[in-house]
Amino acid sequence: MALRATIRGRTYRFESIKEVLAKANPPKSGDALAGIAARDAVERVAARAVLSELTLAQLRQNPVVPYEEDELTRLVEDTLDDQAYRAVQDLTVGQLREWLLETGTTGARIRAISPGLTPEMAAAVCKLMSNMDLMVVGRKCEVVVRANNTLGLPGRMSSRLQPNHPTDDVEGILYSTREGLSYGCGDAVIGVNPATDTAESTAEILRALHDLMRRNGVPTQHCVLSHITVQMRALSELRSPMDLMFQSLAGSEKANTAFGISVGLVDEAYAMMRELATTRGPNRMYFETGQGSALSSDAHHGADQVTMEARCYGFARRYKPFLVNTVVGFIGPEYLETGSQITRAGLEDHFMGKLLGLPMGCDACFTYHSAMSQDELESLKVLLGAAGCAYLMSLPVGDDIMLNYQSTSFHDIPSVRGLLESRPTPEFDAWLEAAGIMRDGRPGPRFGDAEAIR
Amino acid sequence: MSALSRTRELVAALRHELGAQDPLPPAPPLPKVEPPPVRVFPTRRTESRYAQAASAHTTALLGIGHVGTRYATDVVLQFQAELAVAHEAVGTELPDDWAARNGLLPLRTRVADHREFLLRPDLGRRLDDASLARLRSDARRGVDVQPILADGLSAVACMGSGLALLEAYTRELEARGLTVGTPMCAKFARVWLEDEIGEAVGAKVAAILLGERPGLGTGDGLSAYLVFGPRVGKTDGDRNMMSNIHARGTPPEQAGRRLAVLTRAMLDQGTSGVALDLANLAAELGEAAGTAYRAPQKRVRLVEVER
Repeated sequence: MALRATIRGRTYRFESIKEVLAKANPPKSGDALAGIAARDAVERVAARAVLSELTLAQLRQNPVVPYEEDELTRLVEDTLDDQAYRAVQDLTVGQLREWLLETGTTGARIRAISPGLTPEMAAAVCKLMSNMDLMVVGRKCEVVVRANNTLGLPGRMSSRLQPNHPTDDVEGILYSTREGLSYGCGDAVIGVNPATDTAESTAEILRALHDLMRRNGVPTQHCVLSHITVQMRALSELRSPMDLMFQSLAGSEKANTAFGISVGLVDEAYAMMRELATTRGPNRMYFETGQGSALSSDAHHGADQVTMEARCYGFARRYKPFLVNTVVGFIGPEYLETGSQITRAGLEDHFMGKLLGLPMGCDACFTYHSAMSQDELESLKVLLGAAGCAYLMSLPVGDDIMLNYQSTSFHDIPSVRGLLESRPTPEFDAWLEAAGIMRDGRPGPRFGDAEAIR
Repeated sequence: MSALSRTRELVAALRHELGAQDPLPPAPPLPKVEPPPVRVFPTRRTESRYAQAASAHTTALLGIGHVGTRYATDVVLQFQAELAVAHEAVGTELPDDWAARNGLLPLRTRVADHREFLLRPDLGRRLDDASLARLRSDARRGVDVQPILADGLSAVACMGSGLALLEAYTRELEARGLTVGTPMCAKFARVWLEDEIGEAVGAKVAAILLGERPGLGTGDGLSAYLVFGPRVGKTDGDRNMMSNIHARGTPPEQAGRRLAVLTRAMLDQGTSGVALDLANLAAELGEAAGTAYRAPQKRVRLVEVER
């Protein structure tokens, strides 16, 4: 491997595939913070040119974290689908990009090769694609999953209702939930980030949401996003109703250790959910990811944040999750500085996750110290919807009063659905129509009327 | 008939079908547009029953209604005002002479400007050479506690209630017979800066009081992070923290008292962070122990227009 390209007489040399992958990235403050970004725009193109000529087999042989050092690398390598891999192993990254974009390459064909792709391959092709390339292919990918309802069908866009509260006041959580449902939100999940990470508090919130869903016959799922070990206690010891089990994932063994998890632990949780979950399944897990999390615990192994993000998806797909979303602007400007960086990252993550077979949603969001405007954030939600994103978040005016950041609002969900003529999951859609919240896919007589929900 | 003339015929028929002259006929005239019903960001007088009931339990902005699927104009303005307050708090810089004017030892990190402060947390965790020299020559050494006031992510909060918190905390520490280091203030500072400062002055406990990342409509909150045995290399698990220090959360007077209780516990137990046992202090600490219920703060209306 020469890893060399010449642009206008100047030759650019790269030491490793890891360096090529990093320098091929569009500008991200996190890659600059890690000291691995391209020096300038020309070097970036040179890296992309080198990357375009690498074969998928070469990428498989050169994971960004060595097999011996990292259980995620081992997981991907040891469980890769051989038949699917053999179908694409001789393609270069440039050829994979073109194959994905070809009209004849349908969602079913992408689905056939997906289990043969490593995260590094998904990240590599991502770096050769423009935002619109990412959207075009993302839209083609077919990922349909089922828990209590069926998510990811064509023409559908769902939302997580996120009724967080700074002190986990259950009444406060229920007030936000009722209002969100009345705007047609919550078909992906009603999911609460708790302020207090205890099994008792997790169980109390789960019970209250479960009762509300029962009382109103809402066909959706619920989840409390405490640490996975806390949820396991709530499920096995306190026997809480639990439709989905949640965990944040990172892209290396070392970073997951900082999160207090391992492949073995998530295996155990998954087995517990198959036995005890209150959803019919077959999909029962919920994962969140986000570019920069590995670097923030100094566990990126010198790799760029897009590649480390793809490795989260290599981990997630083992558990056939019902939901995966990237919390794209939450981590802060030291990783994603501006609206264009956050937008790019959202589209990248959606594309890579879908390509690797995951039901990708996105928490399109910013913290108040990043350089993204509200208008840019609203645009991103439409771009994601057009790219076939399975779900967005939803909160009162997009304001998370517990985590202090700006996300998607209750009002944004019916707005994006209206713009793109998309509908919620079929089961939830039927419930909204029956409740008078929607009428033929448009706001109905009880739209926005929280008192329609008991 | 040739393929070309067939196409011409098809196009002509299509144009006729779409409206021979004008593809979009003029809109019928409307009588005077009546103003829609008044929808305002809830105040005591105007809020909906649902919003009123919800506000006893949450500060989430509920019961605000909708126009089509979007917000009423008044809600948009209120939202934009809250956003502007948050952005202003992040964007405001601590004036270089603010520390000295307020009788505090002025310190600065290795950060060059505000953008670098946001992008390089590593530089905000270390003092520049001049500040380190000033600290070594001017600050009292070998104290029990070294409080450090700092801008963090909101200089507005630092300048707003920073002095009040520093004074309250110092007074409460002295009332417990503890020695307190030279009052100081650091610009472009991150939490972990307390490690280097505490180590340099040989303090048993370092406590950095700094502006927290603003939320919507709130740029005036301070947080405090305390660490026992400060030295470079301590991690988040070694620290105890208290957030939401401001008039609508925990007021500075009360926060100073709670932080002093926390400090005393660190000195007594010789540790901090996850290893610190706070079980016996719960009542005295309130939410600084991380357990007590806190009633929701009231969301205030920011925009008023004179008519």
